[in-house]
Order: sequence, then C-alpha cells, then structure tokens
Amino acid sequence: MPAEPPANGGYAVAAYAVAAFVLLFYFVSLLRKARK
Amino acid sequence: MSAAVPPPSRDRARAVIRRGTVLSTIALLGIAGVYVLAAAFTPIEARQGVAQKIFYLHVPAAWSALLAFSLVGIVSVLYLWLEDPRLDRFAASSAEVGVVFAAVMLTTGPIWAKPIWGTWWTWDARLTLTLFLFFLFVGYLSLRGALHDRRERARFSAVVGIMGLVLVPFVHLSVYLFRTLHPQPIVLKPSAPSLPWEMLRTLLVSTLMFTLLYVGLVTLRYGIGLAAEAREAHDAG
Repeated sequence: MPAEPPANGGYAVAAYAVAAFVLLFYFVSLLRKARK
Repeated sequence: MSAAVPPPSRDRARAVIRRGTVLSTIALLGIAGVYVLAAAFTPIEARQGVAQKIFYLHVPAAWSALLAFSLVGIVSVLYLWLEDPRLDRFAASSAEVGVVFAAVMLTTGPIWAKPIWGTWWTWDARLTLTLFLFFLFVGYLSLRGALHDRRERARFSAVVGIMGLVLVPFVHLSVYLFRTLHPQPIVLKPSAPSLPWEMLRTLLVSTLMFTLLYVGLVTLRYGIGLAAEAREAHDAG
C-alpha cells in the first residue's frame, strides 16, 4: 500500500497568504501613489 | 549619443497609469484563479504533500524577478549608449517590481523548505546568490533615492543594473555549477519538462499570470514616474 502524503498543508496556506499580501500591498501602494 | 525627448504630458501619464492598472487587475484576478487551480484541480504530490503546491507561486515569482532584473541590465546597457530617459525610467520601474517578486520568491522558498528540507534556510549557492541579487537591487533602489541629479542618477544606477545582469546567469546555473540542496530546473532545461501534465498546466498558467502582472505593475510604475516628471516640468515653468 502506498504511503500517505505528509500533512503539511499549513505551510502551503502560509506561503499563499504571504504572496497574496506582498503583491496586493505593492499594487495598492502604487495605486495610492498614482492618485497623488 | 543623447536622444532629445520632450517632457511627458500629464494626459500621457494618466493614460499609462490607466493601462497599468487594468493589466495588473486582470493579472491579479488571474493569480486568484491560479490559487483555485492549484488548490482544487492539481493533484497532491505523493512524497512532498500539499506543501509542494508552493512551487506554483515560488517558481513563477522567481521567473518574474529574474526577467525583471535581466531587463534592467539590458536596458541599462542601452541607456549608457543612447542616454534616452525613457530607458532609465523603465529600468527604475522594472527594478522596483523585480524586488517585489524577489520578496515573494525569498519568502515562499523558506516556507517550502521547512517541511521538505527540515530547515528554513541553508547557505548553499542558489539561495545565497539569490539573496545577493535581491540585496544588489535593494541597493540599486537606495542609490536612486540618494541621487538628485537626473543624469547622474541614471548613469550610476545603470552601472549597478548591469552588475545585476551579470549575476542572473550564475543564479540560474548555480544548481549545475555547485553542490546544492536546491532542486534542479524541471522546465527551463535542455530536455523535456519532467512534470505530469496537470502540474505543468498549473505552473504554465501561473507563470503566464505572473508575467502579465510584471507587465502591468511595470506599466503602472512607469506611468507614476511619467506623472512625477510632468509635475516637475510644469512646476519648473
């Protein structure tokens, strides 16, 4: 019987959240600069 | 050789900002779609588990960062030759956006490494060179912030940008040149990609969306640079 994959989904959730935060933060900061 | 380029108009700056905003929004929505594709429609890798899915963000972010830094270097060579301010404006935009993508690469990498390697970070060639490249472009942006004369700023930063371009191939080839823990390329290599189709599809869609986001953010940042110069020209007279 093949072994179950390791349960490490929390790391994936953390990485996806960090990436979304960085990209959205930069995009919003550019939009704020563009409004000035 | 120096190109005679008139100062940008506010209308042109506004149009570029609008184009950059639309492109970036489309790309961010596309990346949201990639999250769904990776989570629900891409199989879980048997040995690495769900953490392997970090790969669908980490690799496209690395690709976009290296693309951004390479273009800064190429455009910097052209600037030293042509002295066209548009090239300098593009280099500044691409460097800033590249640093953002490098930040994504350098945060998602360690989050993947912890469950797979058992450590957040190791000072091996690929990781160390990538960190140096990131610091070099943080230095590039600091240099730009410190110099006020436009031509001097453009010339000095072009030299630093070219140094970054020299480092890029070492980053990509470091997994072949040195003994390293980092996985070898599985798509950008001489032989066929070694990934099942469902995983390759998610990676390709993500890479496309990250590249579009690069184009969108650089356009937006370029437009902001244009607007600042138009304002300066207007205030000067």
